[in-house]
Amino acid sequence: MSHTDPEFLALTALGEHAGTAQDAAHLAQCADCQLELERLTRTIELARRDGPVSLEQPPASVWERIAATVGAEEAGQLDAAPGNAVSPEAVRAAANGSGRDVPARVPAGVHAGASPGRAGGRRRRLGVAVAGLAAGLIIGIGGTAAVTQLTRPSASQVVAEIELRPLAQFPQWQSAAGTAVLREHQAALQLAVSVTAPSRSGFYEVWLLGQNGTSMISLGDLNAEHAGTFTLPAGVDLRFYSRIDVSLQPFNGSTQHSSTSVVRGSLPATETGAADPG
Amino acid sequence: MPVDVPSDEDVSAAFGKGDPDALRLLYQRFGALVYSLARRSLGVQADAEDVTQQVFVSAWRGRDTFDPERGSLAAWLVAITRNRISDMLRTRQRDDRVLLHMAAGAATEDPAVPSDQVVNRVVLADELARLPEAQRLVMTLAFYSDLTHEQIAEVLQTPLGTVKSHIRRGLQRLRSRLEADRVTY
Repeated sequence: MSHTDPEFLALTALGEHAGTAQDAAHLAQCADCQLELERLTRTIELARRDGPVSLEQPPASVWERIAATVGAEEAGQLDAAPGNAVSPEAVRAAANGSGRDVPARVPAGVHAGASPGRAGGRRRRLGVAVAGLAAGLIIGIGGTAAVTQLTRPSASQVVAEIELRPLAQFPQWQSAAGTAVLREHQAALQLAVSVTAPSRSGFYEVWLLGQNGTSMISLGDLNAEHAGTFTLPAGVDLRFYSRIDVSLQPFNGSTQHSSTSVVRGSLPATETGAADPG
Repeated sequence: MPVDVPSDEDVSAAFGKGDPDALRLLYQRFGALVYSLARRSLGVQADAEDVTQQVFVSAWRGRDTFDPERGSLAAWLVAITRNRISDMLRTRQRDDRVLLHMAAGAATEDPAVPSDQVVNRVVLADELARLPEAQRLVMTLAFYSDLTHEQIAEVLQTPLGTVKSHIRRGLQRLRSRLEADRVTY
């Protein structure tokens, strides 16, 4: 025997007196129909509580920030070839590499900074460079460094050794290379960076890049030998500031990233808790 | 309803293929949902904007982990949004704690999770907004006016059978959506 008319259940859930005596009799003794009624009623209660909810459209600036973040994920993407130079496989591979940004895998406590768009020193308006999206993602390949993880000795402990590589979209830097060694020294983290790169006008500056692509921390400048050792700010969240970037800065007095990234590498995910103060 | 909102199927297909346009489509379709969730959970507009930005950037970077077998794109995005809201609430708690410690040495212990109630209501509003115009009107009257379905039919000059079927199918659709978005990732 069939159940009651589904319209009867819907109207009953809405609080109307609907249906026939048979409908009511069936409902009284049918668990399936009762359950269905209960689910519909719950939906209606939710909808009716506090009256209608209207969705709010985010301000247009939010999309601009998203496009800028993804597009300018990597410094200097404006110089990059448009997306059609990027193979879909490469984009997918790059996306795979950054899959850990998905919430299920983000460790508790990781957050993307208070105001990525507004606080980020450098922010580009790309006008939705969707081509740039793909171009931005490709960097993941060059930037995902081969990481040599060392066992922890005592004293000044080497936490990680990171290979720095040039980025795919900067052909002029393809001969550049570098290493970064992260050490734990007297409860602080030190990063020793050295780079081999052609001499150009300007100087090399070392940055920690946030996962949102806009937040960055300047660690300092490399010396004439293209080397330098920097103490990381105490308490910096390396799960968020997980990439090391070396830029070529012109002598123009600007404190912002020049958008010219020479080499880049990623910290190993497993060691990122090392800088936690607690 | 704006005509330029892409269908869930279009967005899902573009996303699955890694179409470069997918992020824009995703945002067009779900921007208001994500933002409204954040806005209602966090109150502060600037925080809601930040969370919205983070959600779409995360979704794009992690799009290979979206598995249509496990649930809808909407459910996946709602899950990301909840996590980001939690992160933001946690950050605030941490800031609060610092302030409180400085002031009185006390700490708050509120759990940093967005309320289910908020999520459900915003998801419901989103699905309601997705109904075809005529059906949405019927559902809105059924929910928020004191009119019976006969009166709704009269007011809208629509056949009674049409009104009843709008109500039945509309309710079922809303219910399914609510249940689907409860999928946890």
